[in-house]
Amino acid sequence: MGVAAVRTENLSKRYGRLCAVDDLTLHVAAGEVFGFLGPNGAGKSTTIRLLLGLARPTTGRAWIFDTDAADVGVAHRRLAYVPADVALWPRMTGAEVLDLLARVGPGIDAAYRDELVERFALDVSKPAGTYSTGNRQKVALVAAFATRAPLLVLDEPTSGLDPLMELEFRRAVTAARDNGQTVFLSSHQLAEVEAVCDRVAILRAGTLIEVASVAALRRLHRTEVTATFAGTPPDLSGVAGVAGYHPDGAASVRFTLNGSPAAALRALADADAVAIAVREPSLEEIFLAYYGQDAR
Amino acid sequence: MSATTTEAVPGRVLAALAARQIVRGALVVTAICAGMSALVVAMYSAQALDPTALVALARNPAIRTLFGEPVALDEAGGFTVWRTGAVLTVLLGVWSSLAATRITRGEEDAGRWHLLLSGRTTLTDTVRRHLEVLAVVPLVAGAATAAAMIAAGAGVTGSLLHGAGLAMAGFFFVAVGGLTAQLFPGRSAANGAAAAVLVLGLLTRMVGDGVPALAWLRWLSPFGLVALIRAFDTNRVLPVAVLACAAVILLALTGRLAARRDVGDAVLATAGGRPARTTLLGSVHAFAARRTLRPLAGWVAGIAAYFLLIGLIARSMTDFLTTNPQFAKSAAQAGFALGTVEGYVATLFALLAVAVGVFVAVLLAAVAADENARRLTLLFAAPVTRVRLLAAEAVAASGAALILVTVAAVAVWAGTTTVGAGLTLVDALAGAFNVVPVVLLCLGAAVLALGWTPRAVAGIGALPAAGGFLWQVIADSINAPSWIGALSPFAHLDGVPATAPNLPAAAVMTAVAAACVTIGAAGYHRRDLQA
Repeated sequence: MGVAAVRTENLSKRYGRLCAVDDLTLHVAAGEVFGFLGPNGAGKSTTIRLLLGLARPTTGRAWIFDTDAADVGVAHRRLAYVPADVALWPRMTGAEVLDLLARVGPGIDAAYRDELVERFALDVSKPAGTYSTGNRQKVALVAAFATRAPLLVLDEPTSGLDPLMELEFRRAVTAARDNGQTVFLSSHQLAEVEAVCDRVAILRAGTLIEVASVAALRRLHRTEVTATFAGTPPDLSGVAGVAGYHPDGAASVRFTLNGSPAAALRALADADAVAIAVREPSLEEIFLAYYGQDAR
Repeated sequence: MSATTTEAVPGRVLAALAARQIVRGALVVTAICAGMSALVVAMYSAQALDPTALVALARNPAIRTLFGEPVALDEAGGFTVWRTGAVLTVLLGVWSSLAATRITRGEEDAGRWHLLLSGRTTLTDTVRRHLEVLAVVPLVAGAATAAAMIAAGAGVTGSLLHGAGLAMAGFFFVAVGGLTAQLFPGRSAANGAAAAVLVLGLLTRMVGDGVPALAWLRWLSPFGLVALIRAFDTNRVLPVAVLACAAVILLALTGRLAARRDVGDAVLATAGGRPARTTLLGSVHAFAARRTLRPLAGWVAGIAAYFLLIGLIARSMTDFLTTNPQFAKSAAQAGFALGTVEGYVATLFALLAVAVGVFVAVLLAAVAADENARRLTLLFAAPVTRVRLLAAEAVAASGAALILVTVAAVAVWAGTTTVGAGLTLVDALAGAFNVVPVVLLCLGAAVLALGWTPRAVAGIGALPAAGGFLWQVIADSINAPSWIGALSPFAHLDGVPATAPNLPAAAVMTAVAAACVTIGAAGYHRRDLQA
């Protein structure tokens, strides 16, 4: 296995009595598109600040391609960053900001940048002070993708984008993945994470509670089944793998299915089911199941 | 729950919000105004001034240009007004306009007003309410000054009028700051415009005081109007009223302009596109220089105008002092060695140290503000170490400071040469560069603050220059023990070009500055960024 793009070991950050990130050990392989999920205040942005060397860890360490994250002069030659809330100098135009970031940053593919400006429909002749949140985000996204840096750290990069631009964003992430780049994507947009990520880490109250592939995460969870019968629905609550069984109207039942569906399918066939609907839970539902009521 | 919630009055909530943002600065400004005035009144000892010399002093255009018209110097109150009035008016004016742009344009640009204005208040109400609350501060400062002077033994009428003049000048600059905040998109542009008004006002007052034919010009300047009050002499009320009217008109105009524009927008905003200007974007050093250019241009204009004027009046000033030895003596007692052109220029370069020191502090405070507003985040994410970023900013600020120092020297030289006062360019440069150690101290203090208390960069950075100057003025005024005066860096600046520079002191100050920069850089490297 090659060098990890992002690696942390027992990374913690305390602000007085508040523990923003608690003993985080993470490993993101090079070439992976890695989703970083969690509710507001879970510590996602703090983790990113630690990875970028903007904040210093209380304990533990972080590495970017085996370079200590604190050594930004070296580590940042291999990454590009899009902050959650992009602030720009109001009098500089978009083109000037892009030019500055290109010349100070880790290098740039100018042709790709021009293509991205076109695709994100960004008017770079306007002063940044006149940009909306989405336009400021576009400037940062264009600057980051155009670097073709081996690691892209994106902190809720699409929160201000419209659906069309979000689609462009997904295309750019896919292109980066095809190009062998690693993407570290912190997000609330579960559909987006589901669409582009290979693996997902879920953070709650500063603690890592799950790291799994998107497919495995979904597999971990039960499939939801609705079945309609010609006559009275049978009682399936004793069947292997069936849980949460409850009637849904006179002729229907709902239950969740865990593990092999064979026993349940046999029971449904025997009971003369006329229709069944099987639904994979979305990541959102998995997410909500994790956070339940005590999500903070 | 909702039934028990008390109905909050939006106006009162806004007032409380505004008050919270200014209360600390307000207390400091009020304490300085009242404290300094009371101190000078209390320490005024009847240094029997010769009445004929007094008349000569009042007539001398140079004295008038520099310190304002000397009025009622035979009285504690009159002397206090002459000695502290101009400084305090400028201080209050600067603070008022800066606070006005900070709590209006600054908050709006930071996006905090969007939330505020989604409530029941309008932009006009919010702007107006903030400025009304701020306007209370100069009124309090003026009242406190008057009360302190009366308590210290100055005459009642004169003290009250002086306090009123101070208050109205502050009020005027609250309105100026509020107005420029409506006109310009961005706090720095608004501050620049307000500073231009202030400097123009000062220069107008100086010209009006110095040239009898143009004395009417003083009616056009807030500082001129304050001088026209002639507290402790004729005690005129009309200038106070004019100043108050001007402030009220500006405030009304501010409200009208606020009503006409969109939130986050400005009256003079240019929404149109323009071609990219890509010079000075190639490195963090170049970018730091680029961001310094605009403020530098403004400061160059102000400093060049001021020191040109200083040069132009040099001859008349020194001639006056050589023919009135008593004043040369009392000026020397007050720390002014004004008898020769060299001595006179050397004395006035102390003001250059204050101006350039504040300039450096303001530049580094802008770096802290950029960090706080997360504008620097994308640069911090570039392969550039923090220390290199800091070095770029410090080098840009130092370079700009040296440019200002050079401009001042050339301007003084041009002025003195025009009137044939016989100051060489080399002497002018030597005198101007003599204050560089104080500027370096400001740089060191500002870097130290940036590394350890980034919220206080402007205040701590300006402390060696502005604080040191005030310290020396107070120490001189109250004849404090010499070790107290020695705490000010200005006590260690010798009167170059009249005398040789105090090189050991310069070396010590430079070493202290270097130590501050090192400790500050270590803190900056270590701490969490606000980005």
